[in-house]
Amino acid sequence: MSWKEWFKERFPIDYQKFVEFNERIFIKEPIPVHMKKWFYCMGATPLILAGFQIITGILLMFYFVPSPEMAYESIRHITEDVRVGFWVRGLHRWGSNLMIIALLLHMTRVFFTRAYQKPRELNWIIGVMLFLVTMGLAFTGYSLTYNQLSYWATTVGTNLIREVPLIGKWVFLFLRGGEEVTANTLTRFYYIHVGFLPPLLIFLIALHIIILRLHGVSEPEGFPKGYYPFYPHHFYKIIIATLFLLTLMSTLTVILPPGIGVPADPTVTPAHIKPEWYFYPTYRFLKLVPLKVGIYATAAFMVAMTFWPFIEPMIAKKKETRIKTSFAVGALTLIITLALTIWETIAM
Amino acid sequence: MSHEEAKQTRRSFLKNFGILGALTLAALGFLRNLVLYLFPPLEKKKYHKYLVSKESEIPVGKAKKITIGRKPVYVVHLESGYKVFSGICTHLGCIIRWEEEKGRFYCPCHKGVFDKNGTVLSGPPPRPLDEFKVEVDKKLVFIYVEEKIRGPWT
Amino acid sequence: MDTVKAQQWLIGIFSVLLIVSLLIVAGVEMKKTRTFKPEIEIDETTAKCINCHEKKGIAVKLIDEWKESRHAVMGIGCYECHQAAEEDFDAFRCPESEFIIGKHPTPKDCNQCHEDQVKEFNNSKHAAAQIMMALKGPDRNVFQPTISTKHGCEQCHNIGNYWPDGSIGECDACHSKHRFSLKQARHPETCGECHIGPDHPHIEIYLESKHGNLYVAHKDEWDWNYPPGEPVPFSAPTCATCHMSATRTNKKSTHNVSNRLTWESQAPFSVRTQEYWGGISWQEKRANMEGVCYQCHSQSFADRYLLVADLVNLQYNEIWKATIDWMNLLKKYNVIKTDRFMYEGDFITAWPKEGYDEEVEHIAYRNWHHEGRRFRHGAEMMGADYTQWHGIWELQENLVKIIEYGAEHGVPEAKRWMNSKDPNKFIMYALYDIPGSTWGPSALMYRGQMPMDRIPNYWEIVYKNVKAAYEKGLLTDKQWALYEEIYKNKDKEIGRIYPLPELHEELLKNLNYDLKKLYPEQKLTLTPFNIPFQKGSGY
Repeated sequence: MSWKEWFKERFPIDYQKFVEFNERIFIKEPIPVHMKKWFYCMGATPLILAGFQIITGILLMFYFVPSPEMAYESIRHITEDVRVGFWVRGLHRWGSNLMIIALLLHMTRVFFTRAYQKPRELNWIIGVMLFLVTMGLAFTGYSLTYNQLSYWATTVGTNLIREVPLIGKWVFLFLRGGEEVTANTLTRFYYIHVGFLPPLLIFLIALHIIILRLHGVSEPEGFPKGYYPFYPHHFYKIIIATLFLLTLMSTLTVILPPGIGVPADPTVTPAHIKPEWYFYPTYRFLKLVPLKVGIYATAAFMVAMTFWPFIEPMIAKKKETRIKTSFAVGALTLIITLALTIWETIAM
Repeated sequence: MSHEEAKQTRRSFLKNFGILGALTLAALGFLRNLVLYLFPPLEKKKYHKYLVSKESEIPVGKAKKITIGRKPVYVVHLESGYKVFSGICTHLGCIIRWEEEKGRFYCPCHKGVFDKNGTVLSGPPPRPLDEFKVEVDKKLVFIYVEEKIRGPWT
Repeated sequence: MDTVKAQQWLIGIFSVLLIVSLLIVAGVEMKKTRTFKPEIEIDETTAKCINCHEKKGIAVKLIDEWKESRHAVMGIGCYECHQAAEEDFDAFRCPESEFIIGKHPTPKDCNQCHEDQVKEFNNSKHAAAQIMMALKGPDRNVFQPTISTKHGCEQCHNIGNYWPDGSIGECDACHSKHRFSLKQARHPETCGECHIGPDHPHIEIYLESKHGNLYVAHKDEWDWNYPPGEPVPFSAPTCATCHMSATRTNKKSTHNVSNRLTWESQAPFSVRTQEYWGGISWQEKRANMEGVCYQCHSQSFADRYLLVADLVNLQYNEIWKATIDWMNLLKKYNVIKTDRFMYEGDFITAWPKEGYDEEVEHIAYRNWHHEGRRFRHGAEMMGADYTQWHGIWELQENLVKIIEYGAEHGVPEAKRWMNSKDPNKFIMYALYDIPGSTWGPSALMYRGQMPMDRIPNYWEIVYKNVKAAYEKGLLTDKQWALYEEIYKNKDKEIGRIYPLPELHEELLKNLNYDLKKLYPEQKLTLTPFNIPFQKGSGY
């Protein structure tokens, strides 16, 4: 009896059906021809990076201790003492940055190819949620290093949340576990970072892909009709992307290794505090306008962005006008975001 | 199969083999790092000298108990020189006692008895007492203890 | 081209790139150095002391210091050094326990383990540091109130303290308790706590020397905790490197700081050291020091440097003799009252027994105790400014002041000297000299109107004097051979036979321009105030 039969006897699945299912769903998945262009097929990048984040994140959990006394020390231990610890931490850190870049690019591409149109509105909303979850992961993860900058980023960040109308105070208390940033805050952030947000992320990714597969990939205008199977061409693309991303992250880790900073000191605020770069636009915007206005405007922007697939059809009857307006709004958002980011970068 | 075709096949085989090899090597390199990260290195143990007694403190035939960290250690002065034993019974880890009048060690838990050379005289202990390497330098008795790293990670 | 084949090639290329990147990561990992502090395991007795002290907050910082020490790692705790018997001079019954504590461990306690070091120390001049201050010297015993010397002289001379238990010395003077750090003891600033100031500015001399300059520039790169007894891994010497540390030829390091010193050059009169200090002849001590120098310098440079330094010491002796001769003359005419500035046997004492009540007594005292030492030690340790301006210039100035004082008080010899217009009058003593410069021959250096030009038979007499010193046994055979070789090459060494470089005329022209043109051109005539004593005013 071969091991295959031995196994089939104990796991009585219809093997033939499984093979067929696999072929239909994966191997022969019809991919539209425009996906041969690299520009159109980078939606998988955040997925690959999420995979790396999960692997490196689990590895970091082997050594990280979420307590105010030990958080910084354990980060130092990983970075300085543990073998290739700096590399694992570097991959996780650069992975988070690249993931946000990849998401921003993916969203921009989806927006301008108008792939969110009926009947795919829900998938856009899930996409926005995925982006928010990722930002949440980045914010909580940054706090865990417990050095001066991350400690004060947490303090300022959670204080900002307090200003959000209605729910702000409760979210604030929920995150901090008290009025002050304490050991409770750290354990909460740790749980949110490793126990709450990752499963949510995985669930939303699954939903995102299932909806995508049910509709099939949206096809932009101006390309010839036609499909090719997932394997081997697209499969190879994913392997190439994986190799490229890993090489990129490794190299970045060597060139710009993750620092450990100065241990958090709740009695001294550093002279220059800044959030991570992906919060720059919001940060700069909040500095420009009164706090309440800033928070309401940000909230309004978030709502508009989330429900854009439903808002857009309401703008005009004529398709041409709608497209033009949509592009204008997208371009304006991009320009403002970029401008605010650059401003915050060069401002001391 | 023509000559050209055979050449073609061989070339494509070599190409595929090379690519697959490189891919495997890269994957192995990645996995190697993960294993390195997870498993602490097995380093050769290092020892350093530790002062346990001055020669004048213990007359021949007597013993002295000291603690190193929280572990009990016995220094015994024999005619032939000094012996230093761990005060932990080799049976089940109880702490042994020095019985001076009998010149032997006694474990109260299961009545294990060791002589002043650390060998088992009676009772259940399976092996002699653990011994430290001893060095007498300028009338001072040193033993060699394992070097440990200071920090919360030991 | 976007075919499956191209994709396969891309996979290959990126695999290779990833391998390269992982190799670089492995390289970085290998280069990473990890420094770990060894864990300390505290024994029961020490734990008792520490727990109580920390609870009561007594001397907690010293315990922290101890925890950083090698002692802590090796199980040498409180009681190992602080153990005492009831009758000990520093015995103290700890009120919280049954321990009798020695409040002040002495070299007797250190000697339990550091026998060699204590023995070496006892044979060094450091062990005699307190004799020098306590038994001799009216500067402390006559001239100054005692309270003022407690935190002055006494603090440093304590390095040779005579303890009631019979031991001598204070190890803590260099090895600060309770960390006893090699790094700290090896720093020049540790020696500089005492070897500083107008009478023995050794740290200042060191810091202005090339050696000290390199130390300041590179000390952060040096491994200060290298294992004792190994050749020094620094790129320039510190105090300890030359006077104590192991060298390539003299494998052993020593706590006998007299082991490489060939001159008593702190004394009023420089003499070659006796065999007692260090247990070897001064010639062997010199060989030890040469072993230090040769680690970095060529033998030809080091030998010449040391020969000149030795001749400076001998020259100082002649200046000191001249100082005494003038003082004795002043005494003969009853200008000064002291009876102690005189030859005593073949030796010269240095203090006015009755203290310092006349200006010239200060000056004569300083001529050996301050200026004379600076002159000699500067020349021995590359401190040019101390040999020159803080040394010989002030020695000469002091001599003139003594003579001036005599002339003012009617000493005829002094008056004659003051009235003389002979430029050679400043050379009141026999001379040593060596042709040429330690720093390399120069076509210009000796072109001025020098004593050798003004005094007939200058070189023959100088040669005779050096020879006399050699025959007295104050120079080694090797040194005399070197002197003779240099003397034979006198013309080349002095360098007057070499033509001046072309640039010389141009440099000279411009210097003359400064002098003859710039100064008159830029001279101003200003309006004076009309007040007394101002030049050009109406008064």
